Amino acid sequence: MSSKDLVLESAADRTSRFERDALVFTNQLYAAALRYTKNPEDARDLVQDTYLKAFTSFHQFEEGTNLRAWLYRVLTTTFINSYRKGQRQPLIADNELEDWQVAQAQSHTSDQGKSAETVALESLPDSDIKRALQEIPEEFRIVVYLADVEGFAYKEIAEIVGAPAGTVMSRLHRGRKQLREKLADYAKELGYATEAPARKKGETK
Amino acid sequence: MSFIEIQCGEVLSSVIFIIEGELETVPNAAQINTHLTTCVPCAAEIEHERLMHQMLQDVLKRSCDEQAPEDLHQSIHRTIREQMGASAGATEVVTQFSMTEIAIEIDEFGNIERREIQIEQTHIQHFIDDED
Repeated sequence: MSSKDLVLESAADRTSRFERDALVFTNQLYAAALRYTKNPEDARDLVQDTYLKAFTSFHQFEEGTNLRAWLYRVLTTTFINSYRKGQRQPLIADNELEDWQVAQAQSHTSDQGKSAETVALESLPDSDIKRALQEIPEEFRIVVYLADVEGFAYKEIAEIVGAPAGTVMSRLHRGRKQLREKLADYAKELGYATEAPARKKGETK
Repeated sequence: MSFIEIQCGEVLSSVIFIIEGELETVPNAAQINTHLTTCVPCAAEIEHERLMHQMLQDVLKRSCDEQAPEDLHQSIHRTIREQMGASAGATEVVTQFSMTEIAIEIDEFGNIERREIQIEQTHIQHFIDDED
């Protein structure tokens, strides 16, 4: 016994499905595009281009897989291929990524340092958080955003940005580190101590 | 049993893997775990890193939650509808389901005890322009 059913998806049906499933991410993609491009006009264009590309290749999207991750992949590759041209941002050399583990600080943070860092992070306004994110290199900014704002796992990020998982991990590590350093600097400018207070000579720890 | 002593530096350089829950991908993962149970400063460092990571995520999420301007939503909708119009009838995707009964077992009262069905799904892209 065998039966066959044909389900025909017309262009109109597919459009409705796309609008229903994909357009709910417009606000999220726009916030990401703002971080990528650093200005509202380019962010608008980037989101618009992303949706147009996603729509025209929607038949390639495998139903049942992660549509949000797929849209971020379209957004990120569109940004990398089109929007950053002319910006001439220095790219991070590959060999520099290899020895990131060695370069990292190998000593424990003091208790004062620890609490100062948490106080600094708690007291900074949103505008400073965004400024710090804008100031770190693009490769770092993208992975930190995808991991820490969007909550993608680093293996998903590897697919979104088209880089090996190990590279994503090192960019994530270095990006977060640079971000924290910048935030600590801002907090210091605002008068929050972010370093262990100077101790008088002879005072024991 | 060989005991390899590892240094705090080695543990600290693997912090990102610990935070991301990927310690097992690091060589010496077992020794790092052992070290963490005995070295108080390293354990405190990891705890601090976890806290900082959580706080960083919280402030980032709080700061980066802009809403797209209303006219962008409309403009995307318009673009998609235009695109649909431009390619109207150009492609249609036909999904074909085929169901084949492989086995059926019926008990003495005629009730179905077991049934095995195979369902196949194929997508066929249809270029309507080509058929004209």
